[in-house]
Formats: sequence, C-alpha cells, structure tokens
Amino acid sequence: MSATRTDSVHPPSLQASSLDTEKHIKYWLRCLKSPLPHHYISNDSNRMCIAFFIYSALDILNVLDASVTPTERAEHVDWVYRCQLPEGGFRMFPGSGFGKLRNEQNRKWDPPTLPATFFAIQTLAVMKDDFHRLNKRGILEWLPKLQREDGSFGQMLIDGVIEGGHDSRFGYMATGVRWMLRGTVEGSLDGIPDIDMEGFCHCVEESQTYDGGISEAPFHEAHAGFEFCATSALSLLGRLPQSSNTALEVPSKGLTQLDSTVQWLVSRQTATLDEEDEFDTNSDETDTSMTCHDSHSFVKLRSFPSKAGEMSYQDRSTAHFELQWAGFNGRPNKVADTCYAWWVYGTLSILNKQHLVDAEACRRYLLDKAQHMIGGFGKMPGDPPDIYHSFLGLATLALQPESGLKGFDPALCITKEAKQYIESLQWRKAAISGASDSLNSSLSSTSSESTNTTSQSTISSDSPNIEKNFSYLAISGG
Amino acid sequence: MGLYSESPDWADIEPIPQDEGGPNPLAAIHYSEEYSEAMGYLRAVMARNEMSSRALALTEDIIDMNPAHYTIWLYRAEILFAIKADLHQELEWLNETALAHQKNYQIWNHRQTVVDRVGSPAGEAEFIARMFEKDAKNYHVWSYRQWLVRRFDLWEKGELEDVELLLKHDIRNNSAWNHRWFIVFGRDDSAVAGDVIQREMDYAKDAIRLAPQNQSPWNYLKGVTRRAGNPMSSLKDFASEFASIERPNEVRSSYALDLLAEIYSQESDGKLDAAVALDLLAKHYDPIRANYWNYRKALLEQPATAA
Repeated sequence: MSATRTDSVHPPSLQASSLDTEKHIKYWLRCLKSPLPHHYISNDSNRMCIAFFIYSALDILNVLDASVTPTERAEHVDWVYRCQLPEGGFRMFPGSGFGKLRNEQNRKWDPPTLPATFFAIQTLAVMKDDFHRLNKRGILEWLPKLQREDGSFGQMLIDGVIEGGHDSRFGYMATGVRWMLRGTVEGSLDGIPDIDMEGFCHCVEESQTYDGGISEAPFHEAHAGFEFCATSALSLLGRLPQSSNTALEVPSKGLTQLDSTVQWLVSRQTATLDEEDEFDTNSDETDTSMTCHDSHSFVKLRSFPSKAGEMSYQDRSTAHFELQWAGFNGRPNKVADTCYAWWVYGTLSILNKQHLVDAEACRRYLLDKAQHMIGGFGKMPGDPPDIYHSFLGLATLALQPESGLKGFDPALCITKEAKQYIESLQWRKAAISGASDSLNSSLSSTSSESTNTTSQSTISSDSPNIEKNFSYLAISGG
Repeated sequence: MGLYSESPDWADIEPIPQDEGGPNPLAAIHYSEEYSEAMGYLRAVMARNEMSSRALALTEDIIDMNPAHYTIWLYRAEILFAIKADLHQELEWLNETALAHQKNYQIWNHRQTVVDRVGSPAGEAEFIARMFEKDAKNYHVWSYRQWLVRRFDLWEKGELEDVELLLKHDIRNNSAWNHRWFIVFGRDDSAVAGDVIQREMDYAKDAIRLAPQNQSPWNYLKGVTRRAGNPMSSLKDFASEFASIERPNEVRSSYALDLLAEIYSQESDGKLDAAVALDLLAKHYDPIRANYWNYRKALLEQPATAA
C-alpha cells in the first residue's frame, strides 16, 4: 500500500503558506551587490562558501541571467579564479594571500583547502564557466594526498601533514570535486591516481552509531550533518544501493544499516521549534498516554489534558494544529533548526526516501516560521536571516519541489541545471571516456563546446582576464 | 591611525594589503578598520614566517574577530612551540576564547595540540564542566572529551559518574548517553562482561521508567541488546510496561510501540499485531511520522529482508 497521510492530520490552516519570491530575490541580490555587514568578519575565511551560497541561491530563484550582466559575471568568475593557487586548488578567501611575496617558505599559510576547492568549482559550474582556467590535473593529483590511511580526508596539506578533522565533511567535498572533474570512473585516469574508495567507504561504515545514525568518527554522537556528508559522498562515488520501493538493499561496505539510518533520519522531524518548547515533562502530569509525542513538544501540544481534550481523542486522529509546522533537528532531543531541514530532507532525498517524512509540515515550518519578512530564512522562528540558513532553507524547498524554484540536486547541492551543465562539458566527457590530456588546463584548448550562450559570452568577455590571471599565477611563483 | 601602525613595536613591518584582484569581488565584507589593519600585519608576519611574541599577540587579536581563520591556528601553534611559550597560559586564554566562541571547532583542534604537548589532562575536566554549563550538548566539547579519555587513559577516572550527573540534570541529553556508550563499549581491548551488559540494560530501563517518552535511553537499550547479541524479543516484557495493543488508550511511549511492532513483525504469526501497533503510531501517537509508520506497515507484506 502506498504511504499516504490521512487528511485529518492536517486541518486546513487559516492561510496558505507561500514563498515570498520577490523578497528572497531582493535579499540575495543585496548579498551579491553590496558588501556584507561587519558581523560577517567572523566568516571572512569562508568567503568562497558564501560566494557559492549567493550565486547558487540566485540560480535556484532563476534570476541570474536577468540580474547579473555578462561583464559582472565575468568579473565574478575572475574573482573565483583569483583564489586559485599555482599548486592546484583554491584558497577560501583573498585575506590569506601574500601577493608577490608568496614563496615556497610561506605558502603553507596560504594553502589550497578542500572546502574552498569544492565551493569554487560548484560556483564556477553555477556561473557556467567552461573550466578552461581550472587546474584540473593539479586538483585531481592533490585529492589522494589529502586522504589518510584510515580512509578519511583532511582539509589541507601543511608541511606534508594532513590537517583538519577526520569527519565526513571533507570526504564529501573530496568526492564532490572528484565527481565534478571525473565522474564516477574508478581507478587511475590519464595517469592520475584515484582516491582509495574502499578506505573511504570503510571510514563511513565505522562512523555508524549504535542508534542508527552517522557521526563524525567512531563512537561520536550521530549528527544529521555528518549523515548528509557521508550519504552524499557514497552517492557521488556510485556506492549507494539502488533505491526501490521495498526495503533498502544493504551494501557490503559503507552504509550497512540503511533501515536504521532511514529511521534515524525520519525521527529527526519535530514540532519542537524553539527553546520554549523544550520543557522536561519528566513526572509531569502531561507525561501520560494522552501526551505521547515528541517528548519536548507535547507540553505545548496538549498543555491541558482536559476532559474536552480527552474526548476529542476518542474517535479521531490525535493530530494537532501545532503539528502543521514540523521542522527537523540534527540530533535526538534537540530543537528544530532551519539548516537541519536541509541536512535531513536532503539525505532522505538522496536515499529516495523523502516521502517518509511530512514534507508539507516541513514546508509550512520553513515558510511560516523560519522565512523572514525581509527575505531569507533565520535559524529559528523569529531569528533574522543569515546567508547560511537562507540558502539551506531555499535549497530544501527547491528539493520538494516548490513552484518558482529550479529543481535541485541534493548530493551536489546545486540546481539540476547546473549539474547538467557540468555533465555537458566536453573535456569532462573526454576525461571520463579515458582520452588523454583532457584534464590539462590550457589557454589554447578549445575543449569547451557547451552550447550555452551565457557561457560563450563569459568566455569572450573575459579572455583578457585569462592572461591577467595567469600572469598573477606566474608572479606568485609556486 | 591604528593599534599596529602607530606602535613602535611594529615599525619595522610593512603590512600587506588585501588584494581582491578586481572590481567585483564576491562575498565582500564591510571590514572594520581594526580587522583590516590587523590582517595586513598578519599577512606580513606570516609571509616572513616570523616566530615572535608580538606575532603571537597579533594572532590573538585576529582570532578574537575571526576564529574560523584556518591557518592562523597552525601558525599560532608553531609560534608557541618555537618561542617556548608558557602553554598553561595558552590554555587559560583558550578557555576564555572557547567560552566566547561556542560554535568554533578550530579552537578544539588547537587545544588538542596544546594539551597533547603539555602531556597532562589536569584542569580539563573543570574546563569542560564550564563549557557544559553553557551548553551540555556542545558537539565539539564531547568530541574533544573522547580524545582526552583516549589520550590520557581516563576510562575509569570518573567518566561514568560524570555522565550520570549530567543525565540526572537532563535525562534527555543524547550527547551524554552517547558518551556513556563510548565509555562502556569504546575501549579497544574490551570484551564487555555480562554483568556490565546487565548494568547498562538496567540503567537504560530505569531512565525509561522515569520518562518513557525519551528516545535516547530507548536507542541505548536497543543498542546494548544488539551489541550483546540478544534478540529484540528479549525486550518484549519491558516494552509492554509502556504500551500494549490490547489497551490502545494507555500507551505511555511511542518508542515502546515501535519496539513492539519490530518484535511482532519477527514473530511467525505477529504481522497483524505489528500492523496494529504501527497503525496506532501513525494515527495516534506519532502522526508526524505517519508516512514512515505506513511504510513500515507496507513492508510487513514483503518477504523478509535483512533485519
């Protein structure tokens, strides 16, 4: 039987929830066109990530062509490439650069990082750049060097040491970069060694927890963010089981407890939306059979198990007005947070199990509770919007899908259109089919044969900048 | 003009300005003058690989404004060791910085580097307690604590007792439950003894009796059962204390119903009972997840797959 919800679960709300597209466009254009306020200083070293969020959000909202002129776009593309380093890979922000003073001795303080490289390539894809100037070979040769013996990936290489956590975030980004530049082909490609797939899958497998989730490392607490990263990574490696309508088939390596994983994810949906909901009902009169829900929300849901209330449960579903709004938390017994709607719903979408949660209640939560009147989304109801939550809120809606928004790919975290653009690139097709030299960046190369007109205009308008960029690379040595 | 440009201590340094490299930078930030200036000097000393106490002080200033700067921490560590700075003083400073920047994770990497070099966990438990006063579920702190336990062999140095205290304060603190699991089952050499398994089962059961609608101890109980190699059906009597399909109005825990549904589904003639339990969940006790419970119900009709 199909898993449909009874209508009684959702009494009609007074007002239909809606996405205020115009406000969101305004919010993101402001982020694109004027400097971010000073409280973003603490995110200075995440600028490439922020750049990606801004460009990708405008892509989701389908306004890039209308709001960014070809010249502006070319200059944005240049900015991204300005963060590319001679040794391959990108820095996360211009602030770490030494300009002409960069040399062999000090470049360790201005290293390429895996997150920067991932976000830069994604951004370039959204910009429909042809990847002409991208040092693909350098990046692909660097990837396996970021992998440790235990299979995990680090953030960067400093003095030959792999720095950064052992968690699946970096593994996710490594597999994302790998997919974008060489698809799912396994093994050495054009003389470039592949990452250790088995090692990475083993590492994911080991991070599965006793309660069915995935954590940052063995024995750490399960967390939806790591769940997303691990699942996306396996999907980008082509190592997830083919989903079907029946129970998930269990692969021999990687995610080996998929049924539990799905239940853990589904259990993250909650009507506990703010700290006030977070009562401990321990030994409270509300902790009864009549109040048996998500532990933290049922105080509000049934704050008075009155006679009338009890009567109303007799013959019908115990649905509640409040259950119309249900977001997601990132760990058991935590309150909902906009970003976890993405981490959980996105992961379920990759597993093709998103229909197992209440997507409509999540949509209402995002639109009625987290959406801000000036556009964007806050972390929690009433919070001002910020770029991180605004992007992930929008991306979650785009997955559902939402009218007016472009379709979205959960594992790559870009629009389906941007994904198709990557797949259409001739040099990538050539690399995947094993043609030699297809991964070398070259000014004279004519490998871009994309039919996309925007891309063509980008190429023509920024050709002088290509030289500028390369002279910069030459000056900075490496 | 600024803290550094006017200081005689910095007179020999030519700051390196930030190069955006073009007219249209992305994600440009309205920098404060203090930040711009300090960053200019940081680039200059980093470019010289300068290992000095003034550079150390400068990193402090910038970390305060931008703790997510990913190489400044490594630079700082290198300086600390190069100039043989007082590492206890470093920890004092780190305490305040971590308390001020709860969400930052680079701090914890750095703390690990420093404490590893110091070679002693003295004072760490007190500091962790201070962090937990602000947020007893801080993921970075718990991860760091696991490292501490492993690094200094603290398995039997009050960890279980501390977890119990935290759970006494908040029986729903899933991070504390997870730490308990780590302490009991995370030791490399451990074949966990039968009486320990029993102790853990009892602990989880007591917690459930205290607050039946709490997913953390249910997950723990099921985890211990699985780890011990016992069938879920061994929990049938216990789960029945909180839910019974015979008395659908007296269910005290949706997690008990879920467990019963799982147990029934494995019994040769239990499919119908499992369906009743799943129906109760979908319609009455956990309607947020109605789609999931209905999916589980549909799976009952399928030939058995891996459990």
